[in-house]
Amino acid sequence: MFDVFPPYLVFFIGALVLPLIPNDARRGLVSLVIPIICAYQIWELPHGLHAQLGFSGWELTLLRVDKLSVIFGLVFSLAAFLSLLYAWHVRDTIQQAAALGYAGSAIGAVFAGDLLTLFIFWEGTAITSVFLIWARRTQGAFATGMRYLVIQVASGVLLLGGVALLYRETGSIEFNAMTLGSAATWAIFLAFGIKCAFPLLHNWLQDAYPAATVTGTVILSSFTTKLAVYALARGFPGTEILIYIGAVMTLFPIFYAVIENDLRRVLAYSLNNQLGFMVVGVGIGTDLALNGTAAHAFAHILYKSLLFMSVGAVLFRTGTAKGSELGGLYKTMPLTMIFCVIGAASISAFPLFSGFVTKSLILSDAAHEGYYIVWGILLFASAGVFHHSGIKIPYFAFFAHDSGKRPKEAPTHMLLAMGITAFLCIAIGVYPDPLYALLPYEVSYVPYTTTHVVTQLQLLFFSALAFTVLMRTGIYPPELKSVNLDTDWTYRKFLPTFIERISTSIANFWMVGGWILQRKLNRIVKRLHSSYGPEGRMASVWPTGAMVLWIAVILGATMVVNFV
Amino acid sequence: MEPRKTDPNKLPWLGRKLLWLDNMRNVDRIVYSLYALCAALFLADFFYKKKTYLDLEDVPGFYAIYGFIMCAALVVCARGMRTFLMRDESYYAPNDVEAEEYPEDQLEREEADV
Repeated sequence: MFDVFPPYLVFFIGALVLPLIPNDARRGLVSLVIPIICAYQIWELPHGLHAQLGFSGWELTLLRVDKLSVIFGLVFSLAAFLSLLYAWHVRDTIQQAAALGYAGSAIGAVFAGDLLTLFIFWEGTAITSVFLIWARRTQGAFATGMRYLVIQVASGVLLLGGVALLYRETGSIEFNAMTLGSAATWAIFLAFGIKCAFPLLHNWLQDAYPAATVTGTVILSSFTTKLAVYALARGFPGTEILIYIGAVMTLFPIFYAVIENDLRRVLAYSLNNQLGFMVVGVGIGTDLALNGTAAHAFAHILYKSLLFMSVGAVLFRTGTAKGSELGGLYKTMPLTMIFCVIGAASISAFPLFSGFVTKSLILSDAAHEGYYIVWGILLFASAGVFHHSGIKIPYFAFFAHDSGKRPKEAPTHMLLAMGITAFLCIAIGVYPDPLYALLPYEVSYVPYTTTHVVTQLQLLFFSALAFTVLMRTGIYPPELKSVNLDTDWTYRKFLPTFIERISTSIANFWMVGGWILQRKLNRIVKRLHSSYGPEGRMASVWPTGAMVLWIAVILGATMVVNFV
Repeated sequence: MEPRKTDPNKLPWLGRKLLWLDNMRNVDRIVYSLYALCAALFLADFFYKKKTYLDLEDVPGFYAIYGFIMCAALVVCARGMRTFLMRDESYYAPNDVEAEEYPEDQLEREEADV
């Protein structure tokens, strides 16, 4: 049927077959083999357009293989493998199948050569992933999943609308670089922007990710948003507005991350901040910057998974991921703590850790191209991310005040998943060449120069100094049981209250109006009754007198009409 | 909850080694070494040839000063934001997970025997 078998179909076959396999280690094993097969096939794929088929008059391309799609396909497969290993203990068929379908959709979208195929997989990621939230099976998770689904599907509908308009404009549905201008391209841009969590469109991320299951959040963190980054890199490279959008994205989530109590939500905010770096890279659009985006996405998926895994392990053992409830866990969960610190060092871009060799591609290109203010913001955001992800997460979970909790170390499969991820984070940082070789363009970038190492260490250690000083002087805000208002307040509180007010006032208006009308009608009926009712004045002469009178009147009228 | 007594011999090997951190004097030592390290890093700027794009970067210790001031400002601003953004945990309840317990059947809550 196809010249080349699309590798991501393995995931869908797996998701269909999985329920037939006994729900024990065997099923776990099968689900682990799937990403390995997929990655191997992606590695072997010949570059070019493949698996093209006609579909009711459309020419669809199911596989567009080039370096940009391959690197995202590979890291998605890797992320799927690591999160499925982490989720080895899960015996919930819905979650198992949803995870496979979700990863398969994300990889399918990455290889889509036309916008219609992209749309199908785009919606696929939304519909499969929501089950990872609903799988928590609480009222809160159900409502959160609904909000998530509405926003994700809205992004898909917007994409489809944009594709239809674009087809009318250009007569083509190929997925190539576009220039922002027409309604079509704006619609597609916004659809990407929703999934990429642009400022003001971002809040589905912080709302939904902490609501998923322990393992669900790890899986969610890898795909949707990085798929959107890929789509932007493919569709809108060098679009200048992205630089400023990205800069704002790196900036505002760090403020929220400092005061947020739920550590998984802190991580969701810092995920948003890291996406900002990638979006800036896409906006700059030079070879070096796009390389930076791809490399940073690769490293980011790994260290972000690692951080979500370690906080997830804490949640798994203690039943909470809130900073206010945790502390002192390093005594009984030292390995989880060390993996968490490795993830924290990677996201903070410490030398010898993965973030250092990838984020700097974007930062130095921003300075190169003369975006000094953006560079300054990114530098601030780098320090800020160290502050809340690098220090806050490990500090409040594993150190700080002793919460009295003495949970057992994370289960072996979780430790194994975290161990492999941590190893990769360090390996990329120490020896980045294999990652650089995968990048879409030729790289001649040397991350380890004296200037870069010293300046980065200065930035990080003085941020740590600021944390220490603020902590010791008591200025640092303590972790408090709370929620913080973000843009979701508009559709979770303001709009419902607003609509409720309007509907109550309309209802009241009708009630009062109806009441007045009814009173008037009652009065008329009463009056009629008093004149024409059985006791009425007219009734007293009713039987013959009135009848004769009316006949006389009608007769008279007829005569007048006839003779005049 | 009050800090509870723990039998150090029952802790995992690594946890036992890290008990060193329980002593406040050792924490002080870490903090002082951080101060020393920061001072050393600041001074390091005078001992090598910086390769820079911006004039600003040539200011000795620019990255250090920038990192410190911006982080302090970040925390102070964020703390201020709490006054008008913070709400009770049950603000969005029942349609929010923040106020509800994580379902126990999906956890493997296990206490370490210490």
